[in-house]
Amino acid sequence: MGGVSTDVLALLEATLDAVVIMDDRGRISAFNRSAEEMFGYRAADALGRNVNMLMTSADRGAHDDHLRRYLGGGEPHILGKGRDVRVRHRDGSEFSVFLSVGRIPNTEPPQFVGYLHDTSLRRKALATLERERQLNRLYLDLAQVMLVATDRAGTIQLVNQRAVRVLKLGDGDIMGRNWIDSCVAPDDRPVARNAFRALLMNSSDEPLTCDYHVRASDGEDRFITWRGVALRDTDEVATGVLLSGEDVTDQRRAESEAHRALERMNSVSRLATMGEMAAGISHELNQPLAAIANYAQACARLLRLPAPDMPEISGALEQVSGQALRAGEIIRRIRSLVRNEDVRRELQDINELIRDVHALLASDARVHDGRLELDLTPALPRVTVDGVQIQQVLMNLVHNAFEAQAGELGRVERGREVRNGAGFEVRIATRPTEGGDVEVSVSDLGPGLAGDAEQRIFEPFFTTKPTGTGLGLAISRSIIKAHDARLGYRANQPRGACFFFVLPAHLETTQ
Amino acid sequence: MKDLPQTVFVVDDDDAVRDSLRLLLKSAEITCQPFASAQDFLSAYDAAQPGCLVLDVRMPGMSGLEMQQELNLRGATLPVIFITGHGDIPMAVEAMQLGAFDFLQKPFRDQELLDRVHRALARDMDNRARLRHTDRIRERLATLSPREREVLDLVTQGKANKMVAGDLGVSQRTVEIHRAHVMQKMEAGSLAELVRMMMAVAPRQ
Repeated sequence: MGGVSTDVLALLEATLDAVVIMDDRGRISAFNRSAEEMFGYRAADALGRNVNMLMTSADRGAHDDHLRRYLGGGEPHILGKGRDVRVRHRDGSEFSVFLSVGRIPNTEPPQFVGYLHDTSLRRKALATLERERQLNRLYLDLAQVMLVATDRAGTIQLVNQRAVRVLKLGDGDIMGRNWIDSCVAPDDRPVARNAFRALLMNSSDEPLTCDYHVRASDGEDRFITWRGVALRDTDEVATGVLLSGEDVTDQRRAESEAHRALERMNSVSRLATMGEMAAGISHELNQPLAAIANYAQACARLLRLPAPDMPEISGALEQVSGQALRAGEIIRRIRSLVRNEDVRRELQDINELIRDVHALLASDARVHDGRLELDLTPALPRVTVDGVQIQQVLMNLVHNAFEAQAGELGRVERGREVRNGAGFEVRIATRPTEGGDVEVSVSDLGPGLAGDAEQRIFEPFFTTKPTGTGLGLAISRSIIKAHDARLGYRANQPRGACFFFVLPAHLETTQ
Repeated sequence: MKDLPQTVFVVDDDDAVRDSLRLLLKSAEITCQPFASAQDFLSAYDAAQPGCLVLDVRMPGMSGLEMQQELNLRGATLPVIFITGHGDIPMAVEAMQLGAFDFLQKPFRDQELLDRVHRALARDMDNRARLRHTDRIRERLATLSPREREVLDLVTQGKANKMVAGDLGVSQRTVEIHRAHVMQKMEAGSLAELVRMMMAVAPRQ
């Protein structure tokens, strides 16, 4: 321990840092109490041993070389500079310290003193802080709402992961930008600004709510319901705002789609029940027709009698005309049912009309264990039609097609295997005609029509189905006719029936 | 019984159809009695009245089918012609299975209805004649003494007088006397006729 005064040693004992002094050959010549605590060696055990026993295996080998190089006149590696190093406890564990090394003046051969400051406490505090920050981040990101904090000027200070996802942004490229100018949909910015000002002036702690769209980086607008509070400093001065927002776009969309589907169902169910309606109508029509036939035939018979009862005959004839008018009234009611008064012809994409009604048609297919295929030619000219009526016709044709195949199967064999194997198929196709108009066809793989049926299929009350009313096709044809088109039939290839109609193309002005 | 005229009972809730049917039947000189509902008819009808029914399948309140079943329960034998609208065929089939006489789909030719009505009335007449015949046979049977009834049962089984005498433990002569009384009381001209009479009143299998 030569060269180190006892005063100095006493001083070293009092310092909280570990102090280790070594000679020019790296041998420990002083080892204070803090060093004992830090490394687990007693001073008596450490003195005289090479200082590299305190080093990690990575540093140990190089230390003697550094020392020799320095003593040979080379550049000092560490003298006068502090740095973080890893060191080794007596029990083999390694830990970090802040080490500064100095040469003790006027020592020859030179002696060196090392101060080792245990940094683990600070690190621990920093690590705790970091962990807390990460945890907070996690809380923010776990939230199923968007969280956005800005300062008074609206500059973004914080966004959570949910907000980043809704806005489709990278993490960094939104911080520091103005919330309203860069994230709110342009049309909604005035609303957003008013809400922002109201928040800053709001003196209560109750959150304020408002709805507006944000615009994602890809240009998509999302509809958000916001709740906001002002952030305040210790003097209760508003320093910014915190917004939490719920993306209700899909919810609203689903609501409006459900609403539209319901409306569509209502209009189409008029047709879905067309068969039932027709059954009722035909019964009602039968009554006056039967009465007319009876009266007329009775009159003819009475007139053949030797002394005809003229008042009776006259009364019967009055009944005939009365019943004919009654029948006419029933027919007028059918017409107003089929062609409802408030129909509007509109320019429509026929493919869209078909896709709109596809879900309803598909459910009909499922009922018949069948498959409905769409074969739609894209980019067809638009047509001027009453969409609901055209959809009604399609539903009627598709329904008939499935029934025809089910009926045929019923005659062949009522076997589950046959049913699965047969796989009823109905195809709706759209095609441009040579004249540039639009042909819509519904074809099936059923039995098709026999010669007689082909002639009569469009006659009212003609039916090939055991429970048919014979009105579906007749009504369908009158709807198509009202669209300046014709509902036609041709045999389907390789088999089955094909009903089709050609709608006149709307002449688009191309300028 | 023979004095009661045959009547066609028309039951239809539709005023025009009902009245036109009445007129059509009148033009063919057939007596007709119209009713606006099944209940009206059932409360007015006396089973002794011969004729037939022209009945609408579809009616409010009691339907034609229900009325037919009610008549069956009452043991009424009136033949029923159903008239149906388009699409009521399954109902008409059910009616036929329940014993309806015939059915007609509206509207129809007058001759189609009148032919069916005439056939139904003829059927009713047959039914009633047969009933009268069996009633008479039962009346005559009731006049036989127990011994005479025993002799009748045995001879209609095909047994000769000698065998009957053996079965009953009496003399052949006694059997001959009983047998003569049976033929006389039953107003039968021959054994064959007597057998037919017994078959007519025999409970059906």
